[in-house]
Amino acid sequence: MESFLNHERKSLDKLKKFQLPNQAKKIGWVIFCIAFIALFFTTKDTNLKLIAKYSILIGLLIISISKEEIEDELIKNLRMHSFTFAFIFAVFIAITNPLCSYLANFVFTEQQEPFGGIGDWMILWLLLSVQVFYFGYLKKMHQ
Amino acid sequence: MKNRLKIERAILDITQEELAKRIGVSRQTINSIEKNRYIPSTVLALKLSIVFNKNVNEFFDLEENEKPTS
Repeated sequence: MESFLNHERKSLDKLKKFQLPNQAKKIGWVIFCIAFIALFFTTKDTNLKLIAKYSILIGLLIISISKEEIEDELIKNLRMHSFTFAFIFAVFIAITNPLCSYLANFVFTEQQEPFGGIGDWMILWLLLSVQVFYFGYLKKMHQ
Repeated sequence: MKNRLKIERAILDITQEELAKRIGVSRQTINSIEKNRYIPSTVLALKLSIVFNKNVNEFFDLEENEKPTS
């Protein structure tokens, strides 16, 4: 039982510390930029658009989980803050956006449209983009 | 929390970059500690203590309102 718990603890520690190397960040930015440009130029092909949209998320995820050049405790602290901020921000937007669009529709077009969620892609985009950009902002603040 | 990191660094006559290298952090971390924007962990404080050859509470101290009541 003891060794099982130790093994579990070690696996959890490994998972907690998992990060991609610093070089992966550049790859992430390249994927993000190509996918972002592709999204603007694909107007008809819905499959290509979907691939571009999810490639943006993959790019952002790689950037998000890549190490900094010097990954010290300040960076870990700032990363933790950025994840917290992004989580709260995305949840807040996901909750308030349907209500805001419903009210806006009601006020400006006087049409009562049903409540609709903002979609999984938008939530993931908000989470990742806010984390990446807020982390960058925090790093700049600590220079 | 207040600190005397800048003074201790001046005594040793080393730059933020050199101190950062010695304790294995970035220059930004040293700068943030000096400007009181970041409170380091115990491990980092002990590493600084070894570099400065002083006890931790000789260069880190609590503000008056942070001190526990006796």
